[in-house]
Amino acid sequence: MAATDVRITAEPIDTQRCKFVLSVPVLAGGVRRFTGADEAKGSPLAEAIFAIPGLGVTELIVSGNIVTVVKQSPAPWQAVGKPVGAAIRTALASDVPPVAVAPQPPGAVNDDALYEQVAQVFEEQVNPMVAKHGGRVELIDVQDAVVMLRMGGGCQGCGMADVTLRQGIEGMLSQLVPAVRGIVDITDHTSGSNPYFQASKK
Amino acid sequence: MLPTTTYRTAAFVEAARQIGVELTVASEKPSALEATSLGGLTTLPLQDPQRAATEAFLFAKTYPIAAVAGVDDDTAIVAAVIAQRLGLKGNPVHAVQAARDKHQQRELLAKAGVPIPRFMLRRLDENPAEISKTVTYPCVVKPLRLSASRGVMRANNAQDFVKAQNRLNAIVCEPEASFLVEEFIPGYEVALEGLVVNRRLHVLAIFDKPDPLDGPFFEETIYLTPSTVPAGLQAAITQCAERAVRALGITEGPVHAELRYNENGPWLIELAARPIGGRCSAVLRFGDQKISLEEIILRHALGMALPPLQRERLAAGVMMIPIPGAGTLQEVRGVAEAKAVPLVEDVQITAHPGERLVPFPEGSRYPGFIFARGETPSAVEAALRAAHRKLSFTLLPPQPPASAAGPNPP
Repeated sequence: MAATDVRITAEPIDTQRCKFVLSVPVLAGGVRRFTGADEAKGSPLAEAIFAIPGLGVTELIVSGNIVTVVKQSPAPWQAVGKPVGAAIRTALASDVPPVAVAPQPPGAVNDDALYEQVAQVFEEQVNPMVAKHGGRVELIDVQDAVVMLRMGGGCQGCGMADVTLRQGIEGMLSQLVPAVRGIVDITDHTSGSNPYFQASKK
Repeated sequence: MLPTTTYRTAAFVEAARQIGVELTVASEKPSALEATSLGGLTTLPLQDPQRAATEAFLFAKTYPIAAVAGVDDDTAIVAAVIAQRLGLKGNPVHAVQAARDKHQQRELLAKAGVPIPRFMLRRLDENPAEISKTVTYPCVVKPLRLSASRGVMRANNAQDFVKAQNRLNAIVCEPEASFLVEEFIPGYEVALEGLVVNRRLHVLAIFDKPDPLDGPFFEETIYLTPSTVPAGLQAAITQCAERAVRALGITEGPVHAELRYNENGPWLIELAARPIGGRCSAVLRFGDQKISLEEIILRHALGMALPPLQRERLAAGVMMIPIPGAGTLQEVRGVAEAKAVPLVEDVQITAHPGERLVPFPEGSRYPGFIFARGETPSAVEAALRAAHRKLSFTLLPPQPPASAAGPNPP
């Protein structure tokens, strides 16, 4: 498929963060997180997005067919979405894989080991508890000690999902896997069809 | 205190993170992870403020509490009772109770000479035909404690009134409950968002409501700020809200007021001791750092330094997406197109597929929100309306009651 045939839909999360959903995957398996242009080297898609003038990209997360961009610029997403889309298409048009597999620098946090520990916490503690609310939490990946997760079932779209994440899961991980530096929730909460708690008050 | 029905969870959790304070979230139902949260989560009987205060007092022996904040009408009362019990900054309990009860509020405002609609208190089990003879029309029928304009109806004549009271009776489902019958005040409606600091009202924003709210129901749609109301009139609106704050005895924290104005000046319609509801606060940003309303509320509760309470230069607006009809939501189309409308920052669909949508006055839950920001309020308003036109909702019609579906089986 030519890069021009790829459909890209921008789904702003807030003024700083926006998900770009592509009709084709750009990274097969796992998640990659970039926090600067230096880390982006070797990944044409990330290089091109960090190079967009005036956008002030601070973070980029690539997972399957989703590219999440975090920017400093106050410009609205409808104004800066097109250059991001163009950068993605340019990267897809090249012969090089748009996103390289993450290198493991010597002495860095062992994400594989962290993954195992976090997966164990999710399997043995988090999921048995959220299952009482019909929910589940799926560990997607660990990148640079940052946990990427996706919520499902009763947690997806739940009015208290942020509380579960920040007051519950984050607290548990800080106790049980203190090497974890952060959590990124990549759930599409708008698609949740059976949230456990639902906002209803004005 | 974040009830499980609030839209404000993410905003308050994020505000606490921004400030860097330890947060305990109290809800009326337990979180799945409460047992492991080490004070980060707790359950309180929010429907019983005194019992909630006792439990909070015991909780605070293990996990000391520095400040308490409610997010809606009910938790504002619980917060006041807990603050009183723990000796923390907060409103007097009688003040938030008066703000919560529409009749008590009107009694106090009338006594203080604040301009409000004429009103009378009636019971739902009284004969509506008899009451209808004593009413001046047009009037508004209003429940005492429901929020988001649920159950609020205009009646232009006795026939309308009887229908409205019967309908309200079905909504409230408490025949002995009281309700308000008040004069309909024609005019332009605005909302005032404020923060009371040591008895002084600081106006954070005045919102225009460009869609007429003339009934028969009072579903809100668009809020725009800054207001285009002339400065002198804005001063009069502010003064009216200040008088209401004093009359109710509110001393600290956020307030949200609804006012109307006409040739006779401003009229106070409602004042609540809580911040703006829904997800509408997302349009408010303050100071150079673009601090959120929730961060200001938490900073104030904690006694931390407040940023300048000056809203950003840009105009901003939110549309509470009108309920598209009665039925079960199947699908919402056009969200990406709506988000692509210039000046639109976000479109949040909060109703989920399979959810039953109930129009006003029985319902009150908006299916979502549209946010926009731009140079002028009129440009923002145009963007909100353009984005709304891109959306289409597919609903399955409501199921008829079993008795209407056909004869009962033998």
